[in-house]
Parts: sequence; structure tokens; C-alpha cells
Amino acid sequence: MRKKFVSTLLVLFSVAMAACGGASQEPATDSTDATNQPDEGKVTIIITNGKGEIAAQNEQAAKDFMAANPDIIVEQHTGAVGDTLSILDKLSASGETVTLAMMEPNAVVEKYKDFGTDLSGEKWVNETNDAVKNAKGEIVGFPFSIEGFGLVYNKQVVEKAIGGAFDPFSINTRDKLKGLLDQIKASGVKYPVAYQTEAWSVSNHYSSQFLNQANDPNTIIAQLKEGQFDLAGNAVWNGYYDTLDLLSSQEYNKYGERPLGKYYDDAHVSVGKGESALLFNGNWAFDSLKAVAGENFGLMPVPVDNNPDNPLNNKIAAGPTNIYVINKEATPAQQEAAKKYLNWLVYEKAGQDYLVNKSQVISAFKNNPYTVTNPLGAVIQDAIKQGKTMPFTTNYIVPGDWNTILGPEVQKYIVKKQSREELAKAIESYFTSKK
Amino acid sequence: MIKEKNSMKRFGYQLFFTGPTMITFTIALLIPFAYGFYLTLMKMASPTSPLEFSGIDNYVTAIQDKEFWASMWLTVKYMAGTVLFVNVLGFVLAFLVTSNIRSQNFFRTAYFTPNLIGGLVLGYIWQFVFVQSLPAIGEKWGIDFLRLGWLGDEKLAFWALVIVTIWQSAGYMMIIFIAGLISVPKDIIEASTIDGANGWQRMVKMILPSMVPSFVVTVFLTLKNAFMVYDINFSLTEGGPYGSTTMVSMHVVNKAFLETNYGVGQAEAIVLFIIVASVTGLQVYFSKKMEVEA
Repeated sequence: MRKKFVSTLLVLFSVAMAACGGASQEPATDSTDATNQPDEGKVTIIITNGKGEIAAQNEQAAKDFMAANPDIIVEQHTGAVGDTLSILDKLSASGETVTLAMMEPNAVVEKYKDFGTDLSGEKWVNETNDAVKNAKGEIVGFPFSIEGFGLVYNKQVVEKAIGGAFDPFSINTRDKLKGLLDQIKASGVKYPVAYQTEAWSVSNHYSSQFLNQANDPNTIIAQLKEGQFDLAGNAVWNGYYDTLDLLSSQEYNKYGERPLGKYYDDAHVSVGKGESALLFNGNWAFDSLKAVAGENFGLMPVPVDNNPDNPLNNKIAAGPTNIYVINKEATPAQQEAAKKYLNWLVYEKAGQDYLVNKSQVISAFKNNPYTVTNPLGAVIQDAIKQGKTMPFTTNYIVPGDWNTILGPEVQKYIVKKQSREELAKAIESYFTSKK
Repeated sequence: MIKEKNSMKRFGYQLFFTGPTMITFTIALLIPFAYGFYLTLMKMASPTSPLEFSGIDNYVTAIQDKEFWASMWLTVKYMAGTVLFVNVLGFVLAFLVTSNIRSQNFFRTAYFTPNLIGGLVLGYIWQFVFVQSLPAIGEKWGIDFLRLGWLGDEKLAFWALVIVTIWQSAGYMMIIFIAGLISVPKDIIEASTIDGANGWQRMVKMILPSMVPSFVVTVFLTLKNAFMVYDINFSLTEGGPYGSTTMVSMHVVNKAFLETNYGVGQAEAIVLFIIVASVTGLQVYFSKKMEVEA
């Protein structure tokens, strides 16, 4: 009797295991069926997205798009905010073919340099200045979102200090910035700056700005890799650190005495409340600021020297931060469907609305009539129209490396654990090691 | 014949009881581990690019990675701090809550509660304490070493990690120690009291030696947790300031996923595994020898 019991269990076990094995394979065969049977007339495309904050909007966009294109099935996958492994890597590792993938612009020359198809022939190329090219010069990246950084300021505090309306583009030298900080201080604000000098901010964003001294930042990257660019002797590179010294000094910065201790929230609350006037960040800072004080914020360029005619002092760094790339491993039908989706984003009202109004993304396309409600984003949109932007330099570096390898080096400079010459050497040797 | 039947039966029972665990263990640990080891022998730019055999290149790079060894050394220091303090504090707490003080059940629950909060949440809570609360107190009462946020200073940030770890795990170790303390036979304590041993002598000569099995477990757990710490490290300091509190697990994750150096990161993970396995293995082997029969 007992033996029978055990053997029954064993049989049950093996059945269960076989079932498990079978179950795991089934979806795979399903999806290949869907793509390989043209007689069904439907194409399934998988889209992966990085911006976790707009996951719900992405789902809705897929529904709207499918309603307009009944022969295409769109599966949206959106990675969670702060996820270390990208959703594209996860799906690829489990054997799925992602048709349309969102990635950082830099990825098309580094991590995924062999991933994308050439999109140079697409119609939308004429509607934007921010299409992203790979190393061969082919357009492979569809600019999904534009972002920019600069000095984010609290309008009320600044206007109170100068006693009137404030034009952010009037601060076009370092001395004028210093004068402004002194004025704010005189108006009763103890620390005009609340800049948290976190690794990603001082490194990926702040420390890449010097690349904009060349028309094409890639030329400087190439020289650095060859070991032929002298940072310590470069005026622009030094200029940005002179300005950083000002921004992180004990005199002006709330955290000047001990600059590196996880102050992101505190910095944004301080500027939001008006206890401090400005910090260095991008348009996304508004997410943290609006909770405190509504829409009273602006964005101004970071001055690098005392020449008011230097374009670097008069422009905001802005550019695509997320791009869509079409997988060349996808079937021709899938690639066509993905191209349709991109055109839908650019030309259809529903697509334009999803991008700007629903997702609050700054569009890279001139024909998009909408404006984001984020005041910092609106500044960037205006700057784009007036030609007052320069490349978003973070797109020319490898953000992961700069965050973990060079971030600590810049931070060591801020707390005076190393000299500027040593920082220059650290950056130079990073580049020569990556040749 | 009967014997054979019995052995079949025994095998059946073994499979019945251990089978489910074995299957899960194989799927969740053994297979990924073997595959992970296989990947360290390959060159891979991203999960989508094809694999290329590269021999022990990844291991050579991993061994030569100075930052890896720096974070390992930091982890060893962290381990020394947490293993010592967590066990001492856990034991003291256990001793107090078994010595028949009033409302001891309340204290047991209170000390254990921090362990029920996940490491990430805990890190963010304590980040608030170190960045906002302590400086506010320092400002108000003029205590200079609290006035500035601890997480901005290399040494203080390290101690912040140690303090939070102690706060989190001392209560858990306390539970294990309580079990150990309760099972110390009453008769030998009584006998030693009659023989004239004072409280201290009873503690050192009778209670501690019979508690060795508990210490084997708690030291093992604290050792392992210290080597593998990631969640608190990530949420409290994120390796900062200037990378000075990057523990070895965080270094491995950064290497693999942020710097997209999968092969080297995985090789470093294997090296870490070997070190942790041998350290904890030696610890269990030698401390088992100290166990005494009551």
C-alpha cells in the first residue's frame, strides 16, 4: 500500500516536471507562430522602454496605435525606475527578439553598436536636428526625448534679490554669476547655492561640459583616447572647475563644509522652499521641485569664463537622452511595423499628444505643436527654437563608467583630496585605457 | 531481496522529502552558478552579442583590479566591525530578556522588529536620520560631530553602515541566542552555584561553553551577511563619498551592470564566492571543534 503511494507520488512528480518543462516552452512557440505566419496577417512587435515613470502612458500609446493599425500587435515593456539591468538585456537574454528598443544615445556607438538598422531614409529625419548617428555615420537613433541641464533657479528668490524681472541669459560670465550670488546673499539668503555634488551630477553632467568647446564633441573624445588632449592646460576645462569651485564653496553652498553626503532631496527642498536660490541639474529636477513650490523655476547656462561673447556662456546644453533603435535582427515585417510606430509618434495627433502632453517629454520634432507644462522644459523648448542650445555632452561619454570610475575622482577634487592636475590625469588615463 | 526492496523504499522517501528542495535549489542556484562560471570564460560585450571564448582573461583582469581588492579590504573591515558588535550586542540583549525582567516579551519583539524591515527601506530611513535628524540635533544642542551629515565623511559613512547593520541584525541574533540560553541545562548551573561559582564564573565556565552551537550559527550568519552586503550599502551611501564605502558586492554589480563589463564582473563574483565559501567553511569547521557536550 505504502509502496503504491510512493510510486504514485513519483509518477505525479515526473508529470508535474514534464508539465513545467512544457509550459516554459509554449509561449516561445506561440510568439514564433505569430511572427512566422503571414497568412494570419498580424505582426507582433516588442518595444522596450527605459523611462519607468511613463509606463502607463506607453501602454495607452500601444492601444491607440493598435486601434489605428489593426494589423500590428504592440507589446510594450517598460523597465522600472532605477533598475540596474535594462529590460532590453533581460528580454534578449531570455531569447526574445526586441523590435524597437529605447536606449541611451551613447549605446549606438558603444554597447549596442551592431544593434540598429539604418533609418537615414525615414521622413521624420527632416523634422529634427537630434537624430543620432552610429560610428559609420548612419542615422540609427530616433530621438524620443530631449533633456537639458544648467543652473536651476528659484525665480522668486532671484527676482527679490535683484529687485525686478530676471533674464537668465544675462548671466553670461562667471563674475556676473558671482555678483548674482552676492546679491542673493545680501537679500538675506544665507546660502544662495544648494548643490549636492553627487557623482552622476558632477561627473556625467558637469564634467562633460568642456566637450562643447569643439563643434563636434567626438573630436575631443578621439584626441583624449589617443592621449593627445591636455586637460590641465585647457582653458575651458579649467574654467568649468573654476565655476564649480564657486558653486561648491563654503561661502555660497549650503553643503560647502561637507559637500558629499546624499543631499539630493535636501537640496531640492531648499531651492523649492526658497531657502537657497539655485543648484546645478536638469529639467527633470522639476519633479522634485514642483512638490514644494509650483512653477516658479527657471534654467540658465553655466558660465565658464569672463567673456560675455563666448557661446558656451550663452547656451543651454540640451539633446536627446533616450532614443529608439530598430533591431536589425527583427523580421522585415516587424521592422516596417516599428517604422510605422515611429511615424505615428511624429505625424499623428494621438502620437504627438502622447509624447508631449501625456508623457511630458520634450519633443525633438519641430512639427510637434504641443509644449510641456514643466517650466524648465519650456525654457529648453524655447532655447531650441531660438538656437540657444548646444549638444548634451553626456551623450558623448559612457555614463556608467563616468558614474562609477570618474565620479569619485571629481568628488575627491571637490573635497580637496586631490588637485586639479591629478583629476586631469585621472580622466586622461581613463580615456587612454579605453582606446 | 527484502533489503533491496527497503533500499528502494528508502530512496523513494528521500526523493519525496528532499526532491522539491533539490529541484528548486538546482534551478535557482546550481544551474545559474554553473552557467555563470561558463560565462566567465567568455568574452561578451552585451547580452545580445555572440560569445567568444577567452580562457582565463576575465580572471586575470579581475585579479589585477585594484578597486576590487580595495573594496574587498573595506568589506573585511566592515565584517570585523559587524561580526563583533552584532554578536556581543545580540548576546547581551538575549541575556537581558531571559533574566526575568518585567515585560521581557515586549523587549524581545521590539529588538527583533528592525529585522523585519527590508534592507533598502531601512537604508533610506537611516539616510534621513543621518542627513536630516542628527544634524538638526547637532545644530540645536551644539554637538559638533553631529552638526554635519555623517554620510559626507569617509570614516563616518563607514561607521554609519556598521551602526545600521548592528541595529538591523542584533535582534535576529538575539533570537538565536535566546534559544541557546534557554537550552542551557538548569542542573549544571545549579551545581556550579552550589560549588560556589559567582555570576561571572558561571557565565565564562558554564554558559558560554554550552552556547558554542549558537555562536557557530550567529557568527556564520553575520560573516556571510557582511561579505554579501549590498542593500544597505546601496540605499544608505551608494558607495559614496567618492567611492570610499563601495563594498565588494557593490563593486561587482557596478563592474558588470554599470560599466557593462559582464565577464570581469562575473569573474570577480566567482572570486568573491571562493573567498566567502572558504572563510565561512573554515569558521564553521574550527568553531565546531569548540563545542562541548553538556
